[in-house]
Amino acid sequence: MIDRTRRRVLAVGALSLVVVSWPAVAQWQGYTTPGIPRKADGTFDAAAPVPRAADGKPDLSGIWMAPRIRVDLAQGMKKGETVPFTPEGKRIFDERRATNSKDDPGARCLPTGIPVRATLQTPFKILQTPGVTAILYESRTQFRQILTDGRSLPKEVDWPAWQGFSVGRWEQDTFVVETAGFNGKVWLDQVGTPASDAFRLTERFHRRDFGHMDLEMIIDDRTMYTRPWSTFAELLFQPDTELLEYICEENERDSAKMVGK
Amino acid sequence: MSRHVVTVTLCVVIAVLPVSLRAHHSFAAEFDSNTVVTLNGVITKVEWTNPHTYFHIDVTDDQGKVTNWAVEGGAPNALYRAGWKPTSLKAGDRVSIVGSRAKDGSNLANATSFTLPDGRCLFAGSSGPNGDATTTCRQVTR
Repeated sequence: MIDRTRRRVLAVGALSLVVVSWPAVAQWQGYTTPGIPRKADGTFDAAAPVPRAADGKPDLSGIWMAPRIRVDLAQGMKKGETVPFTPEGKRIFDERRATNSKDDPGARCLPTGIPVRATLQTPFKILQTPGVTAILYESRTQFRQILTDGRSLPKEVDWPAWQGFSVGRWEQDTFVVETAGFNGKVWLDQVGTPASDAFRLTERFHRRDFGHMDLEMIIDDRTMYTRPWSTFAELLFQPDTELLEYICEENERDSAKMVGK
Repeated sequence: MSRHVVTVTLCVVIAVLPVSLRAHHSFAAEFDSNTVVTLNGVITKVEWTNPHTYFHIDVTDDQGKVTNWAVEGGAPNALYRAGWKPTSLKAGDRVSIVGSRAKDGSNLANATSFTLPDGRCLFAGSSGPNGDATTTCRQVTR
């Protein structure tokens, strides 16, 4: 039996091995992000105040990621709440569950639902500029533009799209993004929570401090749900890393192997 | 004192590194987490590709028959953030892989861990229910 001290020595030794083997000249992973608050020991200070843009609004720019994976939006609902499916919504959802999501367009490298991108524990970068806030998603190299130049969403969308069309505005310190014009093909999450072309999404981003952001996503789709419903996610600022390449189509071999049950 | 303890310790260290490990599809549509396979053999080819890495391995059975398996790992970005490089495993390397077999019965598995001859255990970036490298590496070494 190994005593505790020896275990500790081993643990320290193992840690050193890992640290030593880390790329010494990492320009992407492990590169020290400049311009972010740090404690005396050099580690990132997540509790520092929210940074502000030139217009005084919170600056949401940076790389963000969920602290843990969630593939099912229902898991982010308030305690005791359930997804208010219409009969049609429930039928489609049950069918997707019965086949273990084998027909998920995302598995074929088509776009994923905007809500699940915030909960899949894959990093994305927000770039907040006057007139437009962009979100670059590492997974599948997807991007969105949230226009903040004062325009409103069109009353009727003549080009239904996978990601819809997004506009943003500030309500005090909360960035409110509204998106409409979806094509009815996208799955909102990996368990198959459905969306029709009537789907409208409202995202409410609230940066609590430098390192933490709360996100509420309000799903409104009267074909699939009897009323709008909310799912919540926490996002953590990711220091000392950078977005990496992810070209999904490069070697997608899973879809042919997905048998379902 | 054994290499076993070292293996476990390393796995714990690797598992606490910031890791993004997510698959691009439903695990259960393709793999059966109840059919766990342990593949001991020699790497024949490595595909450092999206949306998944693939490690091909020749496994020799008791009768000397060689079977080539394909083992799916996490995406390159997930493995890279966990400390891997494209050259971490190469053709010719001996390795023991634990994973979940494909439901279609082919010689395909989703890896949960890789254990090298020196006892080092590498996290595989699996999204499956057996994907906890700490747990898996402990199982391997017991």
